[in-house]
Amino acid sequence: MTLWSRWVARTSATEGATPLALFRIGMGISVLVTLGSVWLHGLVPVLWVDQAHGGYRALGQGPWLVALLGGPQPAVVWPLLGAASVCGLLLLLGIGGRGVALLTLLTTKGLVDINGHAGGSYDELLANGLWLLVLGNGQATLSVSAWRQTGDWWPRAEVLAFPRWLAAFQLVLMYSMTGVQKLSVHWVPGGDASALYYILQQPTWQRVDMAWLAWVFPLTQLATLITWFWEVLSPLWLLAMWCPAVRGAWQLRAAFAAVGLILHISIFVTMDVGPFTLISLAFYPAMVHPWELRRLTGRG
Amino acid sequence: MGRHLRAAFVLFHLLAITLVSLPSVGGGMRRSAWRTPTVQAEFDAWTARLQGLGLAVDREGLEDRLWAFASGYEDGRDKVLGVFEPYYRLGTWQSWRMFVAPHRFPARLEIEIGEGQGWTPVYVARSSTHDWLAGALDHDRFRAATFRYGWAHYRVARHKFVDWVALRAAEDFPEAQSVRVSFVRYRTGSPEDVRAGVVAKEKREFPLVRSLRSSP
Repeated sequence: MTLWSRWVARTSATEGATPLALFRIGMGISVLVTLGSVWLHGLVPVLWVDQAHGGYRALGQGPWLVALLGGPQPAVVWPLLGAASVCGLLLLLGIGGRGVALLTLLTTKGLVDINGHAGGSYDELLANGLWLLVLGNGQATLSVSAWRQTGDWWPRAEVLAFPRWLAAFQLVLMYSMTGVQKLSVHWVPGGDASALYYILQQPTWQRVDMAWLAWVFPLTQLATLITWFWEVLSPLWLLAMWCPAVRGAWQLRAAFAAVGLILHISIFVTMDVGPFTLISLAFYPAMVHPWELRRLTGRG
Repeated sequence: MGRHLRAAFVLFHLLAITLVSLPSVGGGMRRSAWRTPTVQAEFDAWTARLQGLGLAVDREGLEDRLWAFASGYEDGRDKVLGVFEPYYRLGTWQSWRMFVAPHRFPARLEIEIGEGQGWTPVYVARSSTHDWLAGALDHDRFRAATFRYGWAHYRVARHKFVDWVALRAAEDFPEAQSVRVSFVRYRTGSPEDVRAGVVAKEKREFPLVRSLRSSP
């Protein structure tokens, strides 16, 4: 069997649908939280509407979809927000198939890209995830569609495996590439490992004053080193997924997942970086094989 | 045939997202950004570290060589990524420069009202007492924006932001004569400084004043 034919076989393989469905649910919630947060804070007419219509800065024509609809003005932005929210809800419920995933991507991306100053990497991660739901069938189970077809909310179903693998790859790519770019002397091993301490002192992102960390500085040094090594070595997580039968692979995956959960929860507690934690954790079901979930739950 | 096309597409996707995610200086590729105290301190520290390893490097030489390398790298990167540009528009763009270095000289957004007798703070970032507009300005998307406006090269957007603040201030403080928006820069205290109670020196940067009698 040639390398290419093995690749073709691998990308044509099917598997249980539950992990991808959980990923879809996580993405749906992420869309609603991302948009709802801006709406609930009354920031839609401030951040996503042009200065000429009450916003705080000139936004030009906006991304292509917004430009096509007439630019970042209230008559465009509010209906777009409504459409994106409905799409996000349909995605969460599992109605409308990949078409809804595509519409969710287009409308949500159209909104968050209007003001390039008021966003972060979480917007890109959200778009990355939504695109993968365009490629894969995330509604085969744990969805209204599945319930209507089978009378069961959680039927056993098979879907193409590659979209889940791409989601796993995406998550690890994010971790590893942010890790290798942490080249500050405060991050790289061999230095004072003070990066997290100083980052948590920045007023921009902190939730509350973090000066108290000065009294537990060694703990922040330990956390800095763990974070750096965990991010840089995260491709091992994917490798362990790829070779689940290798001795120690399961323990390695469990360790990576545990550190990841602790890291994201710590970020959420100490810093306000928007929906980053939520969107990142939405990818975590992709790190679990369907047969592992089935063994755990006896379903799907 | 469909199986082969799918396999080829997955390869294409993996290649496209891996290439765009490779390290990049991005918006930091400007001399003014490299001259900021935080970046200069990194060059100092790396020079000392490399010299400690026995390498013959000097401070200016290191920065110049890195600038030349980064310029060439970014040019090449742009050309390669241009091939995939349409695909990136579908939501596959990657940029993972997240907290690559601690900002040792951060800026704190402050808004003050002038009522004829000096300035009275009404908003100080992360303050629980000076919290006018905190519902908006403390939102993560506004934090991302005001973080940028603490950098010199965001001059135009900074002015627009201050114009908007002035409009809001005119509504909420009808007795006030003017509003001042500024970024208070300071060096974050080391653990030793904090424990010793050392107070950092602060410098008010980019102060912009708007009259509320004729706000825009």
